[in-house]
Amino acid sequence: MKFAFFPGCTMAYRLPFAEKSIRMVVPHFDVELVDLAFTCCPEPNTVRALSDDTWITLAARNIALAEAEGLNILTACAGCHESLSLAKHELDENPDRKNKVNELLKDLGLEYKGTSTIVHVHQLLFDEIGIESISSKVVRPVPIKVVTHTGCHLLRPERVLHVDNAEVPVKLDMLCESLGMVPLEYMDKTMCCGAGVRKINSVTSYAILREKMTSIAMVEPNAIVVFCPTCFITFESGQRVANRIFGTDFKIPVFYYTELLAIALNLPETDILLAEHRVKIELPTSTETKEENKTETKDSIPSSP
Amino acid sequence: MSDMSEDLQTNRLKELKETALPCFQCGVCSSSCPVFRVSPELNPRVSVDSIISRGKVPSEGNEWLCAYCLMCDQRCPMGVSLAEILMVIKNISAKEGQAPPDVIESAESLMADGCQSPISSRSEKQREDMGLPKLPRADPEDVKMLFRATGAAEVLELNRSTSGEASE
Amino acid sequence: MPERRIGVFLCHCGSNIAGVIDLEVLKQAVQSLPDVEIVTDYKYVCSKPGQKILKDSIKKHKLNGIVIASCSPRMHEPTFRQVLREIGLNPFLLEIANIREHVSWIHANDPKAATEKAIDLVRMAIARARLLEPLEEPEVSIKKSTLIVGGGIAGISAALDLANAGFKVYLVEKEPSIGGKMSRWDKTFPTLDCSSCILTPRMAEVGNHENITLLTMAQVEEVEGYVGNFKVKIKQIPRYVDIEKCTSCGDCSDICPVDIPAEFDANLSYRKAIYIPFAQAVPSAYVLDMENCLGVEAVKCGKCEDKCEAKAISYDDKEKIIEIEVGTIIVSTGFELFDASKKEEYGYGHFPNVVNLGEIERMLSSAGPTRGHVLKPSNLTEPKKIVYVQCVGSRDELTNRYCSRVCCMTAIKQARMIRDKTGASIYMFYIDLRTFGKGYEEFYESTAAAGVTFIRGRVGEILQNEKTMNLIVRGEDTLLGKPIQLDDVDLVVLSTGVVAADATNKIAHVLNLSISPDGFLLEAHPKLRPVDSFNDGIFVAGMAQGPKDIPDTVAQAKAAASGAMALMGKGKINVEPYYSVVDEERCAGCQVCISVCPYNAVTLNERGYAEVNPAVCKGCGTCTATCASGAITSQHYTDGQIAAMIQEYLSTRYWA
Ligand SMILES: Cc1cc2nc3c(=O)[nH]c(=O)nc-3n(C[C@H](O)[C@H](O)[C@H](O)COP(=O)(O)OP(=O)(O)OC[C@H]3O[C@@H](n4cnc5c(N)ncnc54)[C@H](O)[C@@H]3O)c2cc1C
Ligand code: SF4
Ligand code: SF4
Ligand code: SF4
Ligand code: SF4
Ligand code: SF4
Repeated sequence: MKFAFFPGCTMAYRLPFAEKSIRMVVPHFDVELVDLAFTCCPEPNTVRALSDDTWITLAARNIALAEAEGLNILTACAGCHESLSLAKHELDENPDRKNKVNELLKDLGLEYKGTSTIVHVHQLLFDEIGIESISSKVVRPVPIKVVTHTGCHLLRPERVLHVDNAEVPVKLDMLCESLGMVPLEYMDKTMCCGAGVRKINSVTSYAILREKMTSIAMVEPNAIVVFCPTCFITFESGQRVANRIFGTDFKIPVFYYTELLAIALNLPETDILLAEHRVKIELPTSTETKEENKTETKDSIPSSP
Repeated sequence: MSDMSEDLQTNRLKELKETALPCFQCGVCSSSCPVFRVSPELNPRVSVDSIISRGKVPSEGNEWLCAYCLMCDQRCPMGVSLAEILMVIKNISAKEGQAPPDVIESAESLMADGCQSPISSRSEKQREDMGLPKLPRADPEDVKMLFRATGAAEVLELNRSTSGEASE
Repeated sequence: MPERRIGVFLCHCGSNIAGVIDLEVLKQAVQSLPDVEIVTDYKYVCSKPGQKILKDSIKKHKLNGIVIASCSPRMHEPTFRQVLREIGLNPFLLEIANIREHVSWIHANDPKAATEKAIDLVRMAIARARLLEPLEEPEVSIKKSTLIVGGGIAGISAALDLANAGFKVYLVEKEPSIGGKMSRWDKTFPTLDCSSCILTPRMAEVGNHENITLLTMAQVEEVEGYVGNFKVKIKQIPRYVDIEKCTSCGDCSDICPVDIPAEFDANLSYRKAIYIPFAQAVPSAYVLDMENCLGVEAVKCGKCEDKCEAKAISYDDKEKIIEIEVGTIIVSTGFELFDASKKEEYGYGHFPNVVNLGEIERMLSSAGPTRGHVLKPSNLTEPKKIVYVQCVGSRDELTNRYCSRVCCMTAIKQARMIRDKTGASIYMFYIDLRTFGKGYEEFYESTAAAGVTFIRGRVGEILQNEKTMNLIVRGEDTLLGKPIQLDDVDLVVLSTGVVAADATNKIAHVLNLSISPDGFLLEAHPKLRPVDSFNDGIFVAGMAQGPKDIPDTVAQAKAAASGAMALMGKGKINVEPYYSVVDEERCAGCQVCISVCPYNAVTLNERGYAEVNPAVCKGCGTCTATCASGAITSQHYTDGQIAAMIQEYLSTRYWA
């Protein structure tokens, strides 16, 4: 499989180690990534709020770039995924709009046709590659308790996105389980992390985060697993800000899912990923778990037919 | 020009009212809204109500507080697309020069180099250190052209001047 | 055919028609058309003086074709036909142009165009009137017996009314006992009288009535025939217990080793594989649930047969097919509770302390699984803080759009009883409280006065504290515009709405009944024929027709019974002659018409030609349109008549 890779501004320039982890793991599943001259997706709360036409045209330009190469787009950020998917939905449903957009793209030598699909890493791993194929490659399980946060923009609007059940998301939990983690149920699982209002009113944003973190902290997980760089930053750096504002004491490590996948596949250089984390975690060392895994597989051999 | 855009605005409002009309003010949207829980100034139910009963965009500008999490949209029992409604309210408010400064700043950055926040040399360096490829960039002139042709540049200009007025 | 002499009568309908359409212009436009003898207008043609004008004109001008431009034929066609009968003119020589519903009411803002449209319609009516033919109304006899499908309170009430009036009743119920949902409820709003105290005497009466044959564990498989003469095939599944011999001693149940959740108790208690659904069941007999039985062979179990002194148990009971003939049918198949797990944000099915209205009813019942105590399922303690969430699965585009009508009052009833019994704090979130019935609003007010807190706002989400299993309920008090979060809630009751039962869908298919968009059975007219179906002789009653409380259910049941009696009392009825007829000269015997007729009205006669049964044919015209030989005519809607109308319309359009 070959994709036009769309890391998005936030991941590319603020969370490069998460991007690194994606680039590290995908070759192990025969996925090849191509970089194209994309702009920001663009972010709805900034661009679409100012002009709907600008939003859809920029998004169409991005998609058209991939179409010109005959590639589907692989997104890594929930926000980018939603923005591009909604734009695609609108352009495919509304030919007038598509024609208008193509008038402008013509000057750039591009055309939006509607031939490329938008796939998030979440979908690539769960729907395309599948839990079984992932767990078969795990050599160093990560035996920690986690809570998952799939993210607003992978779940909603459900009528367009179809990534997971918007009220009871379970797929990221299953992906975590396949790496040996124990996903915990917690309240407010589908609630927003607060990122969307940070630019406009940071206190409101951190108040939302406090609510979310309170529910998470109640079940005492070792880490939070996300699939979006913006959620990552909100949880990780946001905890400290929230602590400062509200006098709380949150200190839970955060992971972008593919970082843990890289660790579970026991890929070299995962240290450089973890070095960038601000809330540290001691993961069981690789030798220990490897042994465990070995004995486990040994055990299971006689029982298999 | 401004007459025409005013017409467009009224039309937009009319359409908006149509989509809002099924609302029976049940409060599922507000009860599901994470912002409303902590800052009741944003109440999606009241935003919808003011579109329906006052036929205009609420002037308080609270809709900018919306995090665009789409929880309200997901659960509305009458199928009112709140996310669209709140977005259009923001559009209209931006056309009136009410967009918050940080939104303007991000949009300016996007128009300049295709990315929401300015790409610093530090972050470029960090990528290089990690062994990540240098990402191809869009031609800034192309982005500017699209901003101009689709209205955002104009809205930005307008907001720049109003924020200028305010600071004077 | 004698020379056509057409009279045209224009009705003002007060100002309903005359206020919009210029009747003078209309009159001018049509009075010189061929065959038109006279054009008259009058304030109300349907009134006594109006009818007299009609009769006088028919006599005076020797009219043999009548056009009345007035309201919809659904309103006064029978009236005018009767006038024609009285004056000795065949009632089918009448054509009505609907210039009220189709013109003046909907084009009130454009009188000029309305007048033009009225002219068109009257011209077309005249064109058809030229070709109308006198028709006879065949008479059919009606059997004096009724099939009632569904033995809830609706079926029971209808059965007793009919049986007491001397008609034979077959009551078919799919469960082992009659009683329906009402037998599960504790007290009934708004008077709080005990549900089984008022229901069980009526059930017993049904069980003992000499005119009622009760068939439980039975479903209607096939119905053939038509009003007055329905042939019904009923399938009865084996009960394995002889209802005549069983003394309800319960010895069998005591020895049965199987325990499975009891449906009757909303699965909150257990029952045996051989059991009686509830103490006052009718018929009062046990039933063996073979699906959950260990196995009747001695090696597996087979204990109950040995234990039964009355020798009532027979392991080789077989499925039975019962065939009956009836004159009328009443469908009262009731409803099901909405499945609340479809509203995932409320956690039903995941959170043990989120329950539905039906479960609380069983808990409140002193004969129920908790002996009348409402308990928190997670630890069986008494809840101190309870929240009711209204409109779950109703008034919601995502599930059902309609209001379920009974859940507001049921919630208020339960809240009142819990509050009075235990003093728990109770909060009820609502959009509007629908307390429309007699004494309902007063009941709500006294419940509020008893300390139940009502909050206007629909609940957004319910969360469970994984440690304590307590719940958090989030809503908005929309009257204050303030967010509300209730923490440490012991019990949340979802006011689940009602939905049409799957079984209703099946019976609708068997009987060819229409279903409304909400899934319930469709009545022939929402106001004037609320319990008739579109099929003559078949009536609907109770929840099967739409959400309603017990008083409304019983009222409908009695209405359906009286509808059936009205037909059967007379013993015969006239069928409208709108049926199709086959011209044997042209029929090729190809049988295409037989395959397309949705009512199975066409058969092949002994001469090898198609023949239409007038009593079954609805005059839909499907066969007429399909017949390649043009051998079938739809009486009263002939090709010639319809073509003449179209031609008339087009002729004015072309030169205008
Ligand atoms: C929780 C709750 C509490 C309520 N409390 C009150 C109250 O306090 N006061 C009040 O006035 N109303 C109350 N109601 C409303 C009341 O229950 C209904 O009005 C009433 O039960 C309707 O009766 P029914 O006979 O139409 O339907 P049902 O009671 O549903 O009876 C239908 C019967 O038909 C049978 N059946 C279905 N399909 C077939 C088939 N194909 N063949 C044979 N048999 C079939 C079923 O087994 C059932 O026995 C309450 C409703 C609910 C949900
Ligand atoms: S959820 Fe929908 S119907 Fe309810 S108040 Fe909000 S917009 Fe209106
Ligand atoms: S989209 Fe905005 S208004 Fe709707 S729930 Fe999220 S923050 Fe609230
Ligand atoms: S089947 Fe026999 S043992 Fe069982 S209740 Fe009836 S009489 Fe008693
Ligand atoms: S044979 Fe079946 S029903 Fe009878 S006692 Fe045994 S398990 Fe129970
Ligand atoms: S009766 Fe009350 S709770 Fe039930 S659907 Fe109607 S308004 Fe909602």
